[in-house]
Amino acid sequence: MRLYEHEAKKIFNSVGLKTPRQIGLIRTPADLNNLEISFPAMLKAMTLIGGRGKAGGIRKVNNMTEARTAAGEILDMTIKGYPVEAALVEQAVSERAAFYAGITTNPATFNVILMASAEGGVNIEQVALENPEAILRKEFPDNAMEMKEPDALEFARFLIRGFGDDRDLAAKLKTLIAGLYSAYQKFDCRIAEINPVIVTAEGDAIAADAKIVLDDNALYRQKTLMDMIGIAEARHDVSELTRDEARARDAGFTYVDLLHEDAPKDPDKLYVGLVPGGAGYGIFSIDETVNIGDWFFDGRVVPVNFMDSGGGPSQAGVAEMFHLLMDKEIVDIIITSRFGGISSCDVFIKGLIQCFRDRFRRGDRIVPVYGRMVGTDLPSAKTFLERAKRETPDQLKDMTIIVGNQKIMADVIREGIVLGFERMETKGAGR
Amino acid sequence: MERIPVHKGMLCHLIRYSRPDLVGTIERTGQIQSIVVGLGRQGMKHAGLMRDFGTTVTAGIAPDRGGQRIHEIIPVYDSVSECLRENPDIACASIWRHYTTARDAALEIIEAGIPIVVLITEFIPRRDVRDILHAARKRNIVLIGGNTPGIIFPPEGIKIGMLPDVFYPEEPAPRKAGPSGVTVISRSGAILYHMSEGLASAGIAQNAVLGVGGDGVIGSTFRQLVPMAMEYEHTDLVVIAGEIGGSQEELLAQDIQANPAQYPKPMIALISGAHAPEGKTMGHAGAIVSPGQEYGTFQSKKKALEEAGVPVVNSQYDLIRVAKEKLVNKTYFQVSSYYEAMRRKWETPPAKPEWGTIITKIEPNNISISGYRLDEIILNASLLETAHLLVKTELPSDEILLQHNRTAVNAACQPAPDIERIEGEDVSQTLAKCFLSDRALAGFSRSGTDGPVNKTVYALGRFARYLAGILGHENVLDQAGPDTSFTSVIYGALTGERDTDPDRTRLIEAMITASVDHGVTPPSAQATLIAASARSSYEMSVAVGVGAITDVHGGAGSKAAGFFRQCVSKSSAEKIDLETATRLTVEDCMRQGRRIEGLGHRVHTQDPRRDVLWNLSESFGLAGPCVKISKLITGIFHQVRAIHLPINVDGVIGAIVADLGLPEDLAKVLFIFGRVAGLSAHYFEEIASQAPMRSISFAEAVYKGRKDRSFPK
Ligand SMILES: CC(C)(COP(=O)(O)OP(=O)(O)OC[C@H]1O[C@@H](n2cnc3c(N)ncnc32)[C@H](O)[C@@H]1OP(=O)(O)O)[C@@H](O)C(=O)NCCC(=O)NCCS
Repeated sequence: MRLYEHEAKKIFNSVGLKTPRQIGLIRTPADLNNLEISFPAMLKAMTLIGGRGKAGGIRKVNNMTEARTAAGEILDMTIKGYPVEAALVEQAVSERAAFYAGITTNPATFNVILMASAEGGVNIEQVALENPEAILRKEFPDNAMEMKEPDALEFARFLIRGFGDDRDLAAKLKTLIAGLYSAYQKFDCRIAEINPVIVTAEGDAIAADAKIVLDDNALYRQKTLMDMIGIAEARHDVSELTRDEARARDAGFTYVDLLHEDAPKDPDKLYVGLVPGGAGYGIFSIDETVNIGDWFFDGRVVPVNFMDSGGGPSQAGVAEMFHLLMDKEIVDIIITSRFGGISSCDVFIKGLIQCFRDRFRRGDRIVPVYGRMVGTDLPSAKTFLERAKRETPDQLKDMTIIVGNQKIMADVIREGIVLGFERMETKGAGR
Repeated sequence: MERIPVHKGMLCHLIRYSRPDLVGTIERTGQIQSIVVGLGRQGMKHAGLMRDFGTTVTAGIAPDRGGQRIHEIIPVYDSVSECLRENPDIACASIWRHYTTARDAALEIIEAGIPIVVLITEFIPRRDVRDILHAARKRNIVLIGGNTPGIIFPPEGIKIGMLPDVFYPEEPAPRKAGPSGVTVISRSGAILYHMSEGLASAGIAQNAVLGVGGDGVIGSTFRQLVPMAMEYEHTDLVVIAGEIGGSQEELLAQDIQANPAQYPKPMIALISGAHAPEGKTMGHAGAIVSPGQEYGTFQSKKKALEEAGVPVVNSQYDLIRVAKEKLVNKTYFQVSSYYEAMRRKWETPPAKPEWGTIITKIEPNNISISGYRLDEIILNASLLETAHLLVKTELPSDEILLQHNRTAVNAACQPAPDIERIEGEDVSQTLAKCFLSDRALAGFSRSGTDGPVNKTVYALGRFARYLAGILGHENVLDQAGPDTSFTSVIYGALTGERDTDPDRTRLIEAMITASVDHGVTPPSAQATLIAASARSSYEMSVAVGVGAITDVHGGAGSKAAGFFRQCVSKSSAEKIDLETATRLTVEDCMRQGRRIEGLGHRVHTQDPRRDVLWNLSESFGLAGPCVKISKLITGIFHQVRAIHLPINVDGVIGAIVADLGLPEDLAKVLFIFGRVAGLSAHYFEEIASQAPMRSISFAEAVYKGRKDRSFPK
């Protein structure tokens, strides 16, 4: 979960890092009237997407008139498709020097890595590319909770190489670096970054910007942090959840809409809902559907969603996965694969059948389901399926589940698509 | 299918990287031992599935559950170190603990030096994973996961994890596995299955299938595992299944270019996520495509791998096509036999429900306890040794036996509880009341690893005391001291005689031992099990078992003793031989519609306890006319009724009791005495190995204990 700048600054403050005085958050230019602003001040667009600086989302203002104009412009902006909804007002600081300091987990070694550069306030990736010696990197394979003092001092000295022997500043930077590291570990961050660290004319080292991305897996043990920033549960990154994404989250599984919520339906195309198994196959089944559509059906097949239906869902959870897709007008057919490892075929088939029976009873729209189940608890699942088909043939007439891996899944998807087009034609003919 | 020797397989090859010292043991024993750490729903379930697949699951680990058993026979330890003390050769561990406890569990396993650690748990915080990684690297452990479905080795028939049984090894001869094939390594579980089945559908075998885990920070990555797999001589091709997010695929590509010598074999990469929208989280924490990164996207991975000479595919069809190209002229097995094997799986009816006991095996004419035949036990072991065997599945050492003797004698020396006998009540009812009113027994702890056996021994000692009380022999126990043998205490309590006659003592103990157990189906054992299942106390559970021993169950001995005596007095009164007297008595009984007790058995046609008791009584010179009649009665009964009813253990005990000149009632008392040991064992087994309040179907019980073995001399 990514934090907004003002939230990240609160977190940094809590471990003793200095930041510019935070004046307030505004949602409309009129909100400026409620703040005690001393100029010069900074106005910053509060977004979770990068690139707001380039887009003009950061302004320095010297008086109220400038502030009003800037606020109006910033709050009207859309950055990379995401409208700006709030702006932060903070004290502008005098700048003697600007550095970069950031910590993350190195995706290559999986060690904590701290990076610092005397070239701050600029794109650090650019610096890394063009001037690698300007960056000091150090990994911390022991994953200690606090940084050792000599390491912090080494970074501080590196940053002020060009400043002569400024012990006071070195000490301040050492504290800042050690604090950044400490925050990274203590708050279970994935990224903790300050760009720029500003050395003020008065000789203070302060975090003029702040970026924190938290590890969602660790949020359960970060109650203090959540309280500090005043939220109760994880927030979605960047964009808001769509209606169905939120519905899935409430039901306890991951679901992503691949199409815009009110995307128009092309009558020539087949829209496929996917209940695929674990997240990995969830991604891959989208590829398979598109590829098979391109190779055998002139590109007339559109996958509708990503879903993670693995991890051992309950029977009610499985039913809800199918309900969600059947409630979507755009879906023509649902293709499903249950390759039971941790998840049981037994629970899967019971959930699926429950969905069909519920909808039949309520007279809800039923979308054909085509798929296959293999793996854990298959024998009992098969027995259940056969009995259910005998007992409620009408309810289940639109459900085809192949038992066992009699054919590979790519063939099953292909057959499911064929069936989908057949249904589309009969429906079309009926109209 | 006949599997390859485990030391020739890929798993042993991986173990060698970390613990070459274990390889010798693996080769010698033909086994790779593993443990299951975390026994929640999934850990429990998959411990059984792993074992059914062929994995040697030596133990389960769950704090506070030490001493229990899962799937009836797999022992549970509180900690890994306790497990290793008794099983030092554990080579693999799978972790099934929740993400809040997985770190500590993993660190404990790694510190213990177990070379292959499979971390199933999903959603472990990254900081915790880094701690785990740090420890694993320090000790050179092959860490797989987290968020992995595990690893499976079809040629050896071993899996560590939850992978379903859908993979297929090389089959050089029908129903015989070979080690060659493709090694499949994947970040996602389900992709692993789909890739492997795609290959199998084209006749391509998998010699190992490894799930590295779907998270962003994991143990072994492609870069570590691909060279290891290629080094294994029987790997012909490596297929990796990667996906968007992270940089493993790019790093692998770099390494292939930097160290080509480590990658001597062909490889294919399947990458998924070509059509994933940017910036959306796709469940796998690793699969976030952040705009503007030079790694992590489908394109960056495809480009890097192709530049390193690795063909990249994005569909099952393409994978199969390219794999076939790479493996021209290779046949691993007949596709039809693969589909046949798979069909057998999906057509198997659900398994018949059953549950296990490891105490006593009952077969027609054979009873054995933990693999030892009961007749040998009767001949060679004391009651306390037998009780220890029942509860602990092994015989005690001399030292432990001495301790047990002291415990039991001490128990017999404490005063009996004050209970009131109701006029004419069955002795089993009196004994049950004793159990329920005994402060000393209730206060004796049963916790700790040896708690169950100590409690059982103590209860047997108390039982001697109750009997002494009921029979009016309590004063005999006054002279017992720490060095008295429990056997002589039993004798004194039962007979009231101070001077123990060794042969009579031995014979009485043999009859008690003969009665210790008859599996889970006798009514007394059923009563105890039902109470134990509801988690009634030990005292309550044993008491209801004892209370179920009545005239119809376990009480026949006393009636038989009376019958034999009747025959003997008829013989002397009417001066006719024993055989004639017996026949006339039987005919009398038939006329009056009375049953002859001690005949017939629902399982045995020749009761396995019969001969050993007869022989003992004869060899001690203690057999008299009643034993003689007991040997003739089956034949005589047949002459009268034309029905063949073999004598059973109750009949034999009744005859011996009668010949020893003891009260007839004592036959039943001896039976109950012995059965207290068996009921204790069933009580402790139930609470250690079964969930509370299960519905018990006694006909579904299956013996799963030690195989037959001969009694140590
Ligand atoms: C590790 C995992 C399998 C455990 O799931 P599970 O077996 O269903 O776990 P349970 O719900 O039975 O128990 C979870 C915990 O709650 C504890 N618990 C349950 N009820 C409790 C109670 N009343 N009081 C206290 N603790 C309790 C259990 O002791 C257990 O603790 P532990 O894990 O520290 O031993 C699961 O958390 C997980 O990670 N699943 C995903 C695995 C996966 O999909 N991997 C990748 C495949 S590609």
